[in-house]
Amino acid sequence: MTAEPAVVAPVLPAALRERIVAEFPKYPEKRAVLLSALHFVQDTFEGWIPQAVVPEVAALLGLKPIDVWEVIHFYAMFNSEPVGRCHLRVCTNLSCCLRGARGIMRRLEETLAVRPGEVTPDGNFSVGEVECLGSCGTAPVIQVNNERYREGLSEDDLPGLLDELRTRLAEQDAAKDEE
Amino acid sequence: MSDASTGQKFENPVTVTIDGRAIVAEKGDMLLQVALDNGIEIPHYCYHPKLSIDGSCRMCQVKTGAPKLAIACNTPVVDGMEVDTQSEDVAKARRGVMELLLINHPLDCPICDQAGECYLQDYSYGYGREEARTASPRRKGLKRHPIGPRVVFDQERCILCRRCVRFTNEISKTDELAVFGAGDHSHIGTAPGAPLDNAYSVNTADICPVGALLSSDFHHKRRVWFLEETQSVCPSCSKGCNVKLGMFKNEIQRLVPRRNDDVNETWMCDHGRLNYAFAQDETRARDAVVRGEAANGSSPVVSTDDALKEASAKIRATIDAHGANAVGILGSGALTNEEQYHLAALARDAVGTSNLDVIVPTGEADGFLIQAEKVANARGAREMGVSPGESGKDVAGMLAAAAAGEIKLLYVIGSNALAEAVEADALQAAMDNVDTLIVQDTNVGPWADKATIVLPGQVWAEKDGTFTNHQGRVQRVRRAMSPTEGSYCDGGLFTRLGALLGGKDPAGARFDARATLAEISEKVSGYEGMSFERLGSLGVVLGEAAPASAPAETEEGSAPAEPA
Repeated sequence: MTAEPAVVAPVLPAALRERIVAEFPKYPEKRAVLLSALHFVQDTFEGWIPQAVVPEVAALLGLKPIDVWEVIHFYAMFNSEPVGRCHLRVCTNLSCCLRGARGIMRRLEETLAVRPGEVTPDGNFSVGEVECLGSCGTAPVIQVNNERYREGLSEDDLPGLLDELRTRLAEQDAAKDEE
Repeated sequence: MSDASTGQKFENPVTVTIDGRAIVAEKGDMLLQVALDNGIEIPHYCYHPKLSIDGSCRMCQVKTGAPKLAIACNTPVVDGMEVDTQSEDVAKARRGVMELLLINHPLDCPICDQAGECYLQDYSYGYGREEARTASPRRKGLKRHPIGPRVVFDQERCILCRRCVRFTNEISKTDELAVFGAGDHSHIGTAPGAPLDNAYSVNTADICPVGALLSSDFHHKRRVWFLEETQSVCPSCSKGCNVKLGMFKNEIQRLVPRRNDDVNETWMCDHGRLNYAFAQDETRARDAVVRGEAANGSSPVVSTDDALKEASAKIRATIDAHGANAVGILGSGALTNEEQYHLAALARDAVGTSNLDVIVPTGEADGFLIQAEKVANARGAREMGVSPGESGKDVAGMLAAAAAGEIKLLYVIGSNALAEAVEADALQAAMDNVDTLIVQDTNVGPWADKATIVLPGQVWAEKDGTFTNHQGRVQRVRRAMSPTEGSYCDGGLFTRLGALLGGKDPAGARFDARATLAEISEKVSGYEGMSFERLGSLGVVLGEAAPASAPAETEEGSAPAEPA
């Protein structure tokens, strides 16, 4: 039978591999490390999970590549395509939609001139719809990268949010230049 | 399954009452299967008897006396259980499930191949709403997407029963399919760069209860209700997977597997399923041909009767000049047992040669369904006597003897199979030196083009008879196609040639498969008691047909209906 994953040259950096393996003692079985491992991969690869690392992560954890893909696609926090340095996840589940999430999504797309799956030309921003973030009481909610939720937003809050993020990115760039 | 419905014994019998009917079943068996085995239909999508239980579709809910309705697929039967599959709350639950399944279903039945054999359609009849209660647009998804080389995917029609996912996980063990996304965005998909491509991939289309996964080969080919289906056996290897031939206007439209737990369960390989074009394409050998000085004017095409007379004359002349063992007969593993029986008689009695063997092309086996012998009836051929007689030569021996000039006439039944089965050089050397080549084949090919005499044969779909598979199970082959008018099946060619060689009128030498099997059942060890009726739809293992008083199976067999 076919469909054996093609042998690929190792792309997991040694440090990342060690970081994943170091998690093993914390869990009853290796496969349970998958979520942590995928977070580490995203940390290493600018917020997304390149296709080529999946077979390696699977092999490391004794899983089949399809199992890893299933998990990557199940959770909104994992990205299988490149994202901006600030990736904005807009909850579009019921409560958030009732409180204006659709308008927020539309405003973000217009302001940043990106659609879900795209990244702004400067590489700074991307947006995406996600399923329930579990914060219906403070709907509507946006999560930037893995930071704490921005809650109870309205469309009017968006320019301020984007300014804050742009300022932060500029500071990061400046710090990098000084190095 | 076949045991479960034919008055069987249970180790731990329990009695359950389903809709007022007392049923004895094995303790711990699942309620849905018990009901199906006893002819009680409980609607279901995700449950499949050959896959693990998923319990995701919620369609098979029934009342068991528990506080809530229970899914029958995952409820073990216990003694005294009272089940109601018909009450109003059960019907209401099913209507609810149907409404949710249909909220995003495109209802494009007019252009859906599954229409006519679709569980969504069937159950909509019983439990569907007349109109939708939502005005929202239906979810859009991939349409006509080639999810693999032989399977087409329609994401909008999918109800996420996960049968296909479990198939690639548990049966093909290739793990191409999974459910991606979450919640409302869930969908079946493949990993990047790893399409649904395994030796059994089209089975996913068979088990898909809706029109989400479809056979590319059958896509938009024919409405299923126009198909006439004939139960038969796949001819592509010695496994003998049970199949149904879907016919339209005398052409095979598709092969689908038919359940036989002792052979192929309910699966078949993609190669066997798709290997039927040879039966009806332009490569079919339809004309009898005589080349050389006996040719009839400019066209070598003659009547089959005339070609048989010429074949008889050539064989007779070879015997007279060089003895009977100057004739070599290479038989085909694609013929029925009844035909093989007459071929053996022809070689032994009418020709008198001991140079007789069966051509068996071989290839990869996979330990599941695919066998190394790439013909259906090599075993039957040998058992009917299509094998070298005393000091006779086998296939390789005959080719070597022909190359050495000892064999002057080769009678090849299945020249294309021969080219597949032997080294090209050995075949070429034999053909270069032989005086007369008689080819009997279903399809044209390089050796039929060079033969002195060509006798057109018939394919398995044009015949009634039996094959014996690699396990020694004798199974029925049924005629699904009408043969070319005036042509003879291979068995008919053998009986007529035998008559001509014996100086008799070939018109009196009709081939009768049923009568031949009766003769086989008296003369060939292991075949005692075999008859078309005794074999039924699922076949009988050698040695198990006698005594003849054993109850005959019905034509339909005992396997329950499966979602196509």
